[in-house]
Amino acid sequence: MSATGIGAPVRRKEDFRFITGKGQYTDDINRPGQTHAAFLRSPHAHATIKKLDISEAQKADGVIAVLTGEDLAKDNVGGLICGWMIHSKDGSPMKAGSHPALAQGKVRYVGDHIAVVIAETLAQARDAVEKIHVDYELLKPVIDMAHATDSGSPVIHDVAPHNQVYDWHLGDKGATEAAFANAKHVTKLDIVNNRLIPNAMEPRAAIGDYDSGQDAFTLYTTSQNPHVARLVLSAFIGIAPEHKLRVIAPDVGGGFGSKIFIYAEETVCVWAAKKVGRPVKWTGDRTEAFLADAHGRDHITHAEMAMDDKGHILGLRVKTKANLGAYLSTFSSCVPTYLYAPLLSGQYNIPAIYVEVEGIYTNTAPVDAYRGAGRPEATFVIERMVEVAAREMGQDPAAFRRKNFIKSFPHQTPVIMAYDTGNYGASMDLALEMADYKNFGKRKRDSAKKGMLRGIGFSAYIEACGIAPSAAVGSLGAGVGLWESAEVRVNPVGTVEVLTGSHSHGQGHETTFAQLVSDRLGIGIDQVAIVHGDTDKVQFGMGTYGSRSGAVGMSAISKALDKVVAKAKKVAAYALEASEGDIEFKDGRFSVAGTDRSLAFGEVALQAYIAHKFSGQDLEPGLKEGAFYDPTNFTFPSGVHICELEIDPDTGVTRIDRWTAVDDFGNIINPMIVEGQVHGGIAQGVGQALLEGAHYDANGQLVTASYMDYCMPRADDLPNFDIGITTTPCTTNPLGIKGCGEAGAIAAPPAVINAITDALGHEQIAMPASPQAVWRAAQKSLHKLAAE
Amino acid sequence: MISVSMTVNGKAVSAKIDPRTLLVQFLRENLLLTGTHVGCDTSQCGACVVHVDGKAIKSCTTLAATCDGASVVTIEGLAHDGVLHPMQEAFRENHGLQCGFCTPGMIMSAIDIVNRKGHDLDEHTIREELEGNICRCTGYHNIVKSVAAGAHAMAGSK
Amino acid sequence: MAMTMTGEAVLPALQADVWAKLNDPAVLKACIPGCQSLETTEDNGFVAVAKVKLGPVSATFKGKVVLSDIDAPNSYKISGEGEGGVAGFAKGGAVVRLETVAEGTKLSYDVEAQIGGKLAQLGGRLINGVAKKMADEFFANFAKEVGGTPA
Repeated sequence: MSATGIGAPVRRKEDFRFITGKGQYTDDINRPGQTHAAFLRSPHAHATIKKLDISEAQKADGVIAVLTGEDLAKDNVGGLICGWMIHSKDGSPMKAGSHPALAQGKVRYVGDHIAVVIAETLAQARDAVEKIHVDYELLKPVIDMAHATDSGSPVIHDVAPHNQVYDWHLGDKGATEAAFANAKHVTKLDIVNNRLIPNAMEPRAAIGDYDSGQDAFTLYTTSQNPHVARLVLSAFIGIAPEHKLRVIAPDVGGGFGSKIFIYAEETVCVWAAKKVGRPVKWTGDRTEAFLADAHGRDHITHAEMAMDDKGHILGLRVKTKANLGAYLSTFSSCVPTYLYAPLLSGQYNIPAIYVEVEGIYTNTAPVDAYRGAGRPEATFVIERMVEVAAREMGQDPAAFRRKNFIKSFPHQTPVIMAYDTGNYGASMDLALEMADYKNFGKRKRDSAKKGMLRGIGFSAYIEACGIAPSAAVGSLGAGVGLWESAEVRVNPVGTVEVLTGSHSHGQGHETTFAQLVSDRLGIGIDQVAIVHGDTDKVQFGMGTYGSRSGAVGMSAISKALDKVVAKAKKVAAYALEASEGDIEFKDGRFSVAGTDRSLAFGEVALQAYIAHKFSGQDLEPGLKEGAFYDPTNFTFPSGVHICELEIDPDTGVTRIDRWTAVDDFGNIINPMIVEGQVHGGIAQGVGQALLEGAHYDANGQLVTASYMDYCMPRADDLPNFDIGITTTPCTTNPLGIKGCGEAGAIAAPPAVINAITDALGHEQIAMPASPQAVWRAAQKSLHKLAAE
Repeated sequence: MISVSMTVNGKAVSAKIDPRTLLVQFLRENLLLTGTHVGCDTSQCGACVVHVDGKAIKSCTTLAATCDGASVVTIEGLAHDGVLHPMQEAFRENHGLQCGFCTPGMIMSAIDIVNRKGHDLDEHTIREELEGNICRCTGYHNIVKSVAAGAHAMAGSK
Repeated sequence: MAMTMTGEAVLPALQADVWAKLNDPAVLKACIPGCQSLETTEDNGFVAVAKVKLGPVSATFKGKVVLSDIDAPNSYKISGEGEGGVAGFAKGGAVVRLETVAEGTKLSYDVEAQIGGKLAQLGGRLINGVAKKMADEFFANFAKEVGGTPA
């Protein structure tokens, strides 16, 4: 392993600009002549707009334009789209209501966009928003997902008369019924997966710019996938053809899924730039982020699991209602279906599974992918079920899991997925050892002496990452392919630029991708620049989400590097006057086998460009290669997390005492960065389990709309994490990488809740397990103890 | 419009501003010091922390006018002659940042913690003292390590 | 965000006088905290402008106030809704009842109110306290108008 190659904990190249305040986030960019946009948002969850009077706002100081949904319609600007078609059980397509970027006659959630004011200064734009007068006719809002589809419920979209987006299923119902018929024990559980608000620290922002000389637009935006944004804005929304629309996603301050989607604000900014003839900038404030960023999770589920008399799992049936909010966001439809149900087999050999999912409209913000996207919800179901089943059957939860682990690979689950590789027992062994499981009983007794309730909880998660084979996702309804692209440009002096379709917003691609190049070409990482986030510079790419940039994005780079080396060998053969077959490439030097004649990588690059040693008929000059990599399967990272915690029954305060995470991510490029990803994921998962929950009141007001009411994990809410690694390289991509970005967020919630329920001695606790909720639950435990 | 004068990162600056201008706006918009960030609107997240007369403050809830005559240091003012401040170096060395958005405020708060609490900081103290700074990426594990390491390094660099 | 509140006050005045004052726009204007204007409309109501501060959010509300279920001089329902621009909206109503008692007139009320928009997002958890304070202020002012302090 070289100092900067694969496997080295290289310090990040991008850090210098961030620690010196020189990052360039969208809001740090200012365009000459720039104007400022402020949106009027609905304060009502469900209303028709009887009258929209913008006349006073138009006359306000500094106002350049006030634009509404009518103006969008006049310009034939299309609505926002949902790019994954789901079909219901009966074969009917999902019911997608129209989603204009500015309301056209109706508002459907608090925060819904009604109009935009464009003014010389932000203060003037905000002041003028106050001067828009809206006459609303209030409609009864639909807030409670459990009753949204009841007959007589108000209708949110005419196309969905019962507020049902789809009624979908997966698996073999008959086989599952048969499995239950043979069961000796059935575990049943009602499970709520609480609604979360992603809260990347950088609020979304956009600057639209129009060059009338070129008749071309530029959009600077906080995006995880600028090419996808350009495609949607061009092909569906109709802003401009792709070659006339440049999308730049510069430094982006965290995404976690919420910056995948194409939102109203950037659509309006780029469209309005042409209308006002000047750049239009919008920067969201935190309240806007709470109201109108796509939220995550929000499922209610009933699950049943059938076991034989020894505790072997025979079957699983799951019925889930998924809240999709007021409109279908860009990828929302696939999250509770194809990113959820296929993961319900977990790490276990389950012969029969049947899943039903109802997607539901409510008058709340749209819900879409948030770190893990469907997989945390699935993992929470299966890991709660196995934990409870083990307890009900009087078996050790670790042993119960081990008994049911899949032990031979490849393994075809009954719900689409074919796991290529893994060693679940190895992760469990290491986790038990690191967590000192054998002495847990003693620690529990010691806690009890202090009047504290100690619990331990497991989560043996699996996720499907590196999404994914284009043909496969296409057959499941995806509107796009999920390959990735790369171009490797070698300069005449031997430095390298890699243009990648992936996008880095905290993941450290500038470092890890450079490590791959360093490893393969034998040059230092300072000789490598990673270019991303600009559709004018980079070939079409699919962006970063679903832990795919290592497995898919780097595989594309790897393929392009193969081509670079192959071409360079040809050049070297001419330069060294040897036959191509005799050229060897090692540690950055091309040599003629069995001789001392060799050239450094940089010398060969120069030969490729001066082209003196070969004729154009024999070989093209230059050294630049591209690749599009389409994976043949998902990747399947897995692991075991163990949470041990202590509850003070007098206050309900839960303190996490130790966290053990053992993960199998396949091959790892930079262990320092991978551990950082695990830490951050666990923090978000612990946040879901203990602290975070989006709450709408019965009228659809979001009452957790600031950091005063939405409890973000802070430094003193979390412990240090003990990280362990086991490795079974992925068999379906050239680098053996599985992906690590979402693991912590997927693994953590059931580990926490399993530990709390272990401490409490009963299963009645919901997320977030706030001190108040835990205190109430602990009182039940004390009563129960007293009664015994 | 009112006049304000202050020293920012060692340089004297003065400007005529709208009285409601916040210090963070003054830094970002008038002086183009965009390293100081705005992450929330309720003074909770700490992305906007700068030092005013040697103390950490949240520049999103401070009027620029109240800093008239003050000495302000932002993230851009920590490194001198290309040499990073020990706390900046510690964040890089310990992977104390991912997306980088909270980082400037985190580093400014961390230096303030050391100024107030000394160089030998235990994990518990660091975690409690970071209460006013939210990070969504790192889970704080490596930030805590960075602050402890930076605190030690600051003792050595005195 | 919805809130409910009930309360009562005993006023040292005759029920007929209290009733008259409860229907007098000038008195109501003087008593409603933050009220900047209150004008009578044709339909048993008023158009009002009031400035309200709820935690970090302050806003000027413009809205209609309507009196209904009038049973003079015993009870009425006063309901209103106001738009506070980007601060959001507030709407609600109160059933106000009068009853002659030994010390004068007992006034009791049941309030139901809803707020939305920024008021709910940032000031939601303060609403009950603020509403109680505003009701207290209203009745303190009203008691002065009818002569004396509330019991």
